Amino acid sequence: MPKHYRPAGKKKEGNAAKYVTRSQAVKLLQVNLSTFRRLCILKGVFPREPKKKVKGNHHTYYHLKDIWFVKHDPLLEKFREMRTYEKKLKKAEAKKNRDLYERLRTRKPSYTLDRLILERYPKFVDALRDLDDCLSMVHLFAALPALERENIEVKRIHHCRKLSHEWQAYIARTHKLRKVFISVKGIYFQAEVEGQKITWLTPHALQQVLPDDVDYSVMLTFLEFYETLLAFTNFKLYHSINVNYPPILDPQLEALAEELYALSRYLDANTRSARASGSDQVEGQENEKQHDESDLRLAQLQHQLPHNEPGALMHLVEDAAGEDEEDEDTKECKNLFKDMKFFLGREVPRESLLFVIPAFGGIVSWEGDGAPFREADQSITHQIVDRPTQGHKFLSREYVQPQWIYDCVNARIILPTEGYLVGRVPPPHLSPFVDNEAEGYVPDYAETVKRLQAAARNEVLPMPGTVKEDLEDPQRLLVEGIIDRAEANEAAEKKRKMATLEKQYHDELKMELEGAQYSSSMINQNIESNTASGEAREEPAPDLQQIAEDSTNMSKLVMPRKKRRLLEAMEIGKKRKQANVDLLKERKKKNEAGQTSKAK
Amino acid sequence: MGKVSKGSRKGKKAWRANISTDDIHDFFEKSTKDALSGGSLAAVPSESLFFVDKSRDLLVKRKIEKQREKVLRTDSVLQKNPFVQAVPSTVSKKSRRKRKVVNIDVQGDNEEASVSASGMVDLWADESDGKLKKKPKPSVIPAVEVEPPGCSYNPSFESHQDSLACAVADEMQKVYKHELGPEPVPLTVPGEVIDEEDMYFLEADEGGDDDTSLENLEGDENKATENRSSKTKPVTRVELNRRARRKDLLKKETEAKKIGQQSKEINSLPDIIQEIAREDEEKQRRHLRRVVAQQERLKCRPPRLGKHKFEPAPMQVLLSEEITGSLRQLKACCTLAKDRFKSLEKRGLVVPTGRNRRR
Repeated sequence: MPKHYRPAGKKKEGNAAKYVTRSQAVKLLQVNLSTFRRLCILKGVFPREPKKKVKGNHHTYYHLKDIWFVKHDPLLEKFREMRTYEKKLKKAEAKKNRDLYERLRTRKPSYTLDRLILERYPKFVDALRDLDDCLSMVHLFAALPALERENIEVKRIHHCRKLSHEWQAYIARTHKLRKVFISVKGIYFQAEVEGQKITWLTPHALQQVLPDDVDYSVMLTFLEFYETLLAFTNFKLYHSINVNYPPILDPQLEALAEELYALSRYLDANTRSARASGSDQVEGQENEKQHDESDLRLAQLQHQLPHNEPGALMHLVEDAAGEDEEDEDTKECKNLFKDMKFFLGREVPRESLLFVIPAFGGIVSWEGDGAPFREADQSITHQIVDRPTQGHKFLSREYVQPQWIYDCVNARIILPTEGYLVGRVPPPHLSPFVDNEAEGYVPDYAETVKRLQAAARNEVLPMPGTVKEDLEDPQRLLVEGIIDRAEANEAAEKKRKMATLEKQYHDELKMELEGAQYSSSMINQNIESNTASGEAREEPAPDLQQIAEDSTNMSKLVMPRKKRRLLEAMEIGKKRKQANVDLLKERKKKNEAGQTSKAK
Repeated sequence: MGKVSKGSRKGKKAWRANISTDDIHDFFEKSTKDALSGGSLAAVPSESLFFVDKSRDLLVKRKIEKQREKVLRTDSVLQKNPFVQAVPSTVSKKSRRKRKVVNIDVQGDNEEASVSASGMVDLWADESDGKLKKKPKPSVIPAVEVEPPGCSYNPSFESHQDSLACAVADEMQKVYKHELGPEPVPLTVPGEVIDEEDMYFLEADEGGDDDTSLENLEGDENKATENRSSKTKPVTRVELNRRARRKDLLKKETEAKKIGQQSKEINSLPDIIQEIAREDEEKQRRHLRRVVAQQERLKCRPPRLGKHKFEPAPMQVLLSEEITGSLRQLKACCTLAKDRFKSLEKRGLVVPTGRNRRR
């Protein structure tokens, strides 16, 4: 019904006129229900809850304007066209008109979502802001098995995988990753791109089961939109670092399912070529190691690629360091694992570590074909393992559990590896998304990490207290530093107290002397007054508290009622929080007591 | 002039009477007319008689124009009428202009695309037009909610206890709800099957009631008869007078009462005003509270969008004995697909459906 025409008996205003139920909307748009759902998801039109549900509580309501918005979209017409085309196709097939069928089949109409993306996200920042869900969904489908029954095609899963790797490669390349949190559900990542914090959730590298109570058609429609969105976002991001977007990958690596590594190599190669730093030397090296690949694309790609050699990779990383306009955070992140080489064991989750370690400036290899360097490489500093026993141990490197990497990343310092050695239960993995100060409760390990952080910062600006005597054991050094600092603080405090006392004593003496000079008869009084003043001086400590209390009370009295109430509410909230913290502490104490008693 | 038939000469004495003098009269008339109008026109030259009028006669012109401007009704209907307001166009001018611009852009982009040879275009190439209508987010709930620290795969003891307590509380709530809820109707009832014949002999209720109801009926009848007898008694004057007096008295009393009430109310006007103010304040506060509560509710739950309520997924937390501290031994207990779907439901993008969907 057109906007300006209102049939008799139809409501003119109010919720009855503004909202329609879903079935009404379907009738209005003259499409079937599944098309309607698709359209709504693609257009970003979602049901709303009217104040008055005119048709009853068991209906889904849409705003009429939203429905008009959908109606004016060309996509609606396109869907209709596709439907009729399908009918033609079916008819041709049924009539065994092979020619027509073939002809029709090859010219199927299709649609694109570019316009919709621009419509929903008029600016790039908008798209970035809304990327959370998109990334989570794409990462999820990248890990799902293809299922005929649910219409999950292999092609789409591969596409999702590709997109997610492209995104990860960009983030790792530009060192934008900030936080990682491994929960039971999956792994949370947080990156900061163009000032927008983007959080996404990836599944664990485990067999994914498809639960029954999920509507996959809806999910797939969402995915369709998100795939397009992420592709355009990646395009923009890649172009921002001067890399051609649809990246051309080394098919060998791709076949080995090492797309991420291939991508990072591609990125490196491209940025280097953009900087026009192609050197003959590299090419010479390249020729020696040239795999017998005749593919032109590959040749194009390979001719700048320095090979599976650690030195060359190091060089690449250094090269990348010359980039401009980076903020403090990025620099910090980039240099976290600088000059460190990691080797991943077979049993550790490779995907996430291959993403995280390069994002913080480390060099990583793994067991398998196509890896940049072998396990026997002497320059490896850390080997990530998750097995209680090791076959052959190199003395030159440290064997740590994967959690060490994540904890280092979250703390932004290289943590001592002792707690994370093989066979031990590592210290708790704390969530970096919790603001401990705001929460009021700081877990033990967080406190030690904090101390270590402070110490690391102090090491950069060496304090007089710290003495670098044994360099082999940085952890001991750090701890000592902390202790020293604490001691120094205490000493300083004591000194200050002493000084004040001394000064007070001197003052008194002086006054007394002066009093004696003026009049001997006044001495008594003076002494009395002195003692009085002494008492007065002793008192101020409790007095001050009293005064502070009074002043707060006064200000409370003066405050308008509204503000006072607010203040009271805030105090109550604080108290509650405090009680919570106390409860946690209590629990912990009990637990400790229980453990000690058990030990006994 | 032809011969005019002579009339009858009967009784005409003089000949003059029968001779016509019309022509003479005509001449005289004509000559006098000419003299009065300024000479005969036949003698005047034509130049002095006719000339081209070059002066403007507005009146005439208007008349002519008016004649010419006559518009057909069909045309006039289509013409603009200043008293009728135009119906606004559904497509605003701005958007029309914008669409044109977009079209141009698309063409430009296509050229670019051909250059990049990948089929992809930088959608956000020109972000020059800064003023765009901002679409409100459908939900305040973030798309990816980070779980509490207790849900870490290797949590610290305290936070784990916290999360575990939450999970247990949820479970227990479910159990209690089940236990404390009304008992379902039992599927089997103890006892014997009753025949259809026996059913007629079953009495809905015990027979004691019937007698009492009969008695009641009798009592009612007695009362009715008494009333009837009293009504028939005549009303005496005394009675009427008394009634009138009573009525008057009552009226006066009520009036006095009313006045007293009014004066009292007037006296307590400030109190009333205060009370009204208080009520208003209370109302406002209640409204505010309600709004805030609704906002809070929206933060953890979507609005009711359909037949079914949204049910949050249970928290994913490891049991105490499941914590091994090793990523390798992490139990594969859940999949993200369900989590993402629940998130969609929670944000109100998908209408929650019943628990057992198909199969």
